[in-house]
Amino acid sequence: MRRQLRSRRAPAFPYGYRYRLDDQDEVNQNYLADEEEEAEEAQVLVVPDLEEEEEKEEEERSQGQPIGNAWWQKLQIMIEYLWDPERRISLAQTGQSWSLILFIYFFFYASLAAVITLCMYMLFLTISPYMPTFTERVKTPGVMIRPFAHSLNFNFNVSEPDTWQHYVISLNGFLQGYNDSLQEEMNVDCPPGQYFIQDGNEDEDKKACQFKRSFLKNCSGLEDPTFGYATGQPCILLKMNRIVGFRPELGDPVKVSCKVQRGDEDDIRSINYYPESASFDLRYYPYYGKLTHVNYTSPLVAMHFTDVVKNQAVPVQCQLKGKGIINDVISDHFVGRVIFTLNIET
Amino acid sequence: MSRKTLEIYSVELDGTKDTKQTDQEDDKKYNDLDLKKSHQKEELKRELDLDDHKLTSEELEQKYGTNIITGLSSARAAEHLARDGPNTLSPPKQTPEIIKFLKQMVGGFSILLWIGAVLCWIAYGIQYVNDKSASLDSVYLGVVLALVVILTGIFAYYQEAKSTNIMASFSKMIPQEALVIRDSEKKVIPAEQLVVGDIVEIKGGDQIPADIRLLSSQGCKVDNSSLTGESEPQPRSAEFTHENPLETKNIGFYSTTCLEGTATGVVINTGDRTVIGRIASLASGVGSEKTPIATEIEHFVHIVAGVAVSVGLLFFIIAVSLKYQVLDSIIFLIGIIVANVPEGLLATVTVTLSLTAKRMAKKNCLVKNLEAVETLGSTSIICSDKTGTLTQNRMAVAHLWFDNQIFMADTSENQLNQAFDQSSGTWASLSKIIALCNRAEFRPGQENIPIMKKVVVGDASETALLKFSEVILGDVMEIRKRNRKVAEIPFNSTNKFQLSIHETEDPEDKHFLVVMKGAPERILERCSTIMINGQEQPLGKSNATAFHTAYMELGGLGERVLGFCHLYLPEDEFPESYPFDVDAMNFPTSNLCFVGLLSMIDPPRSTVPDAVAKCRSAGIKVIMVTGDHPITAKAVAKSVGVISASSETVEDIARRCSIAVEQVNKRDARAAVVTGMELKDMAPEQLDEILANYSEIVFARTSPQQKLIIVEGCQRQDAVVAVTGDGVNDSPALKKADIGIAMGIAGSDAAKNAADMVLLDDNFASIVTGVEEGRLIFDNLKKTIAYTLTKNIAELCPFLIYIIVGLPLPIGTITLLFIDLGTDIIPSIALAYEKAESDIMNRKPRHKKKDRLVNHQLAIYSYLHIGLMQALGAFLVYFTVYAQQGFWPTSLINLRVRWEKDELNDVEDSYGQEWTRYQRKYLEWTGYTAFFVGIMVQQIADLIIRKTRRNSIFQQGLFRNKVIWVGIASQIIIALILSYGLGSVTALSFTMLRPQYWFVAIPHAILIWVYDEVRKLFIRRYPGSWWDKNMYY
Repeated sequence: MRRQLRSRRAPAFPYGYRYRLDDQDEVNQNYLADEEEEAEEAQVLVVPDLEEEEEKEEEERSQGQPIGNAWWQKLQIMIEYLWDPERRISLAQTGQSWSLILFIYFFFYASLAAVITLCMYMLFLTISPYMPTFTERVKTPGVMIRPFAHSLNFNFNVSEPDTWQHYVISLNGFLQGYNDSLQEEMNVDCPPGQYFIQDGNEDEDKKACQFKRSFLKNCSGLEDPTFGYATGQPCILLKMNRIVGFRPELGDPVKVSCKVQRGDEDDIRSINYYPESASFDLRYYPYYGKLTHVNYTSPLVAMHFTDVVKNQAVPVQCQLKGKGIINDVISDHFVGRVIFTLNIET
Repeated sequence: MSRKTLEIYSVELDGTKDTKQTDQEDDKKYNDLDLKKSHQKEELKRELDLDDHKLTSEELEQKYGTNIITGLSSARAAEHLARDGPNTLSPPKQTPEIIKFLKQMVGGFSILLWIGAVLCWIAYGIQYVNDKSASLDSVYLGVVLALVVILTGIFAYYQEAKSTNIMASFSKMIPQEALVIRDSEKKVIPAEQLVVGDIVEIKGGDQIPADIRLLSSQGCKVDNSSLTGESEPQPRSAEFTHENPLETKNIGFYSTTCLEGTATGVVINTGDRTVIGRIASLASGVGSEKTPIATEIEHFVHIVAGVAVSVGLLFFIIAVSLKYQVLDSIIFLIGIIVANVPEGLLATVTVTLSLTAKRMAKKNCLVKNLEAVETLGSTSIICSDKTGTLTQNRMAVAHLWFDNQIFMADTSENQLNQAFDQSSGTWASLSKIIALCNRAEFRPGQENIPIMKKVVVGDASETALLKFSEVILGDVMEIRKRNRKVAEIPFNSTNKFQLSIHETEDPEDKHFLVVMKGAPERILERCSTIMINGQEQPLGKSNATAFHTAYMELGGLGERVLGFCHLYLPEDEFPESYPFDVDAMNFPTSNLCFVGLLSMIDPPRSTVPDAVAKCRSAGIKVIMVTGDHPITAKAVAKSVGVISASSETVEDIARRCSIAVEQVNKRDARAAVVTGMELKDMAPEQLDEILANYSEIVFARTSPQQKLIIVEGCQRQDAVVAVTGDGVNDSPALKKADIGIAMGIAGSDAAKNAADMVLLDDNFASIVTGVEEGRLIFDNLKKTIAYTLTKNIAELCPFLIYIIVGLPLPIGTITLLFIDLGTDIIPSIALAYEKAESDIMNRKPRHKKKDRLVNHQLAIYSYLHIGLMQALGAFLVYFTVYAQQGFWPTSLINLRVRWEKDELNDVEDSYGQEWTRYQRKYLEWTGYTAFFVGIMVQQIADLIIRKTRRNSIFQQGLFRNKVIWVGIASQIIIALILSYGLGSVTALSFTMLRPQYWFVAIPHAILIWVYDEVRKLFIRRYPGSWWDKNMYY
């Protein structure tokens, strides 16, 4: 250690000498001399020249005014970044780099597309085209009425055909598929009162039972082409939502019954149902799905409101009734029931 | 005095420039400010007229209406207190809490979410006008969005407040008291109740409680370092010695310390009107810089907000041109904004920062401002104090010279390893002189405390000698008792030596021993012999040369050198009863026997050289700024490695090559020692040049004000500057620095107030730990942000596809919030616990403007690679759910309008089944849940891949960070609770998902992991390649 120290030679001989030889107080004195100047300086600093300061600020502010210039420059830098003609660089990438990027992204996204295609393919391998994998969400059928034009409020004036003509057109259109001739040609007349079960492979085409327009009698539009709207006795058709595999309880077909939902029960004095049983015959069940049960015709129940209070809105609730039918789900007003208002003006 | 320097100061010290810019629109405020400014100016002027030091005691009594003997009356004091306010520095003006709170409410993404919420309400308003029975969904959504903003705002505010509170409690730890004479009685009162005119008594160890004019003094010395930065003790007496109030000896300044002696004085200024108070209040005007992490987060917020707004507007236009209703388009816009904004991220960042702050507090770095946590990590220059930070802030014996040899003493913190040769007879004599010729004493009652930690009464050198001999010789007090002192001449500036006469410890030996120490050359003058190997020899020429060589060598090391000599008085001339008279000096003080030299230094802390080396390898320039002499400064700089062993200054080269300093090529020198004098005459450009060209710089004999100039110089180099400081005068520099580091032990309150961080142990090595933590948190924040941004695409795509392709909405806005603020929160915090990937302290500090927290690589990789893969995976789950329920993907296209029509209750699916609106809605919610689960599952993979940016996960260790697994577990548990626990709560639109759907996205999750591993592999394999440049974030 000693040798090392010696070999290092006194590096700052005169300097160190002075400090060391002076005694402490003198060093202090020396130092104070410097400090003095600094301290004076510090004092002045403590009182910055405020006026000058303000002037400067004003200068700065006035300099700051041609802001447009700065913006312009920024924009130019931006444009240069987008496309630098000198170096032939765009977005800080050269052409070669860009082609590499395009190539890699093309490759990457093509692979991703392949992956998602493969996944979809595998998904479809697990799904039967004839039978949904799960049906628990539509276990109990919903109910819908016709005519339906965006609204469940039937407002019309008997004496003004314009107000009800669209219901008639809508119904006529809807019932085209129920024309007797068509039904007889396409579908079979199967025995009523029992399920129309067709065993056999899933992929075999299934036959459908006839539901003829004429079953609807007065509401078929055949006798009364205005479906009663012209007389203030509107026909409304009720249709149960199709559910693959749905079978009503055996021997007890689903019935329809309508009444005033809220208010005076007597607002509706009489309703005629067609078919008169006011029910969906068992022979229309089960439904085998769109793919094989091509000509399936949803059974209908027509409600003929022959005597309803006029000139006031009557809320009507039509419910399905039968074993296993749920018609009182609070959150869903269309499961097993349908609510609509009739407001017939004269 | 240089005019230039002055200007620099005036610009920087006057904070009104900043204030003005922000308040320009507020004219009233502006005027107030002007008023205040001139008021301030007035007051400062008055300070300069301070003439109390020139007044006599009587004049003072008259001026302050006091009595030097009896003090103020209590009533009078109370009057003054009411007039002047308490004697405390008013804390820097704080932003009112409510403003801080509101700032949290509108900062960052909050403004976007507020816009979203307001749009929701507007949309409802329009709906309501059209249809009185409009659903309240959008009102709820608006409320939820507002709640999200408010809750995250409250959270961030709470976090901020918590970290501020730590600081508040810290600064209030030591209440100060003062001994005051009032009503002719001595009373101890809290220092803040002092008023002008009070007569106070101070003694060694006290902090001076206000600016006082000394009336009497007994050997009073003060440490003015908190004012001037110079820690040499300065004598204080009642005499008026200098025109300048700052220089005269009869004024003691508030917050300086009385080192020894006692004094009585009259209080002339209190609180903010003290000199220190003025400087402190000016310092609070220096605008503090925005922290780098704040800039980074702002940058990131801009990017994300930019994406959100532009995508939102683009699709708003697309939606309108696709003939969507404007109302619907607004709702799409809200969805897009919500999907794009990582609602939970800023809260996460706050938590992450405060976790790190806690970790750093454990390592003695107390962080005042959360954002400063990261600033240390990006620091590229540290301007460090010498005393106390790099050194131990005490004197210690470093070298000894006797028997013509230099010996080295152990200067480490405990000094236990004194390895020099102690067998020589000379050492026996020398050690005796060291022990006896010393007035310092241990304070009684410290028997069980290690020697180095004992409190000593006495000055720094004597303390060092006392402890040194205590370590080597054992009980010094006992030795002194055995060698009874009969006479003593204390050190004074005319003699420049200290002498004492002792009886010898041998009762038979009736000699008296004269021991003497002092300035070496003065001691040598008084000697005629020298002791070599225990034998007295005449002091020949060769001995004198050897002495000078040794003296020079030790002086050159920047050490304080003392000479020691002794003399045994002849028994016949000085019998036992001889009356020694120190005034008459009736005993010989020349022709003594020279025994040896001893040099002392404030030794570097033992951990510092290592820490400095670490800084250097971490690319951080360590600049030493000290008030000490260049020679000492350089010596310490060399010993701690601030100037490395191999580098030379221009002067060194000049001496080595024996050429003039001017001839040296400045490029050859790596180190530079710049004194305050040189700095004063320097233009800013010259300073810039020095800062840029030398890698190792020491600023010596600088005043604390010059620190500010140095800091600015560094900042002009685009460096992130950390500054350490303890004095009040350091506070402008601390404030100006990117991160001001105050010393917890030695630091003044003003410094702590101005600083962003407080080093609880005053140790430089703690800064290095801070740097490491700061860098780690930057890396980890990158990971957190990458993790969080990724799912944005998976959240955004549903809306885009919904608008363009017309699928039933894959995921609802509320559900998105459950990802952002539910499942993703804990995992993203968990990334903060990730260990460094490697080499964190071996790389350069990040460039403030080039190495962004969120760079385009990160954004592109997160958005266009992983994010897109995630979106596909989530869509797969969604399609699976729909297909298995009856709606095949093809049937979903353009189904949106019919799907959402409330009156339409017989929508046909792919099997010909008919669905009511509610049945469809339930399926839609199931779809939301499925999509949510899909994202969640893939976010697990995302979390795992974000553990590293370059290394393979298997290199990093899959299970090393346990918190990640806690995060994953939390993700899964939250999702399970949402689906199965809250699945029946319709407002949340979650449903009970079939168990198998939870596994649909797993192959995609694995794919993400594999893809990222491949990316990292290529990065490691081909460093510097196109891939590395574009795929490494």
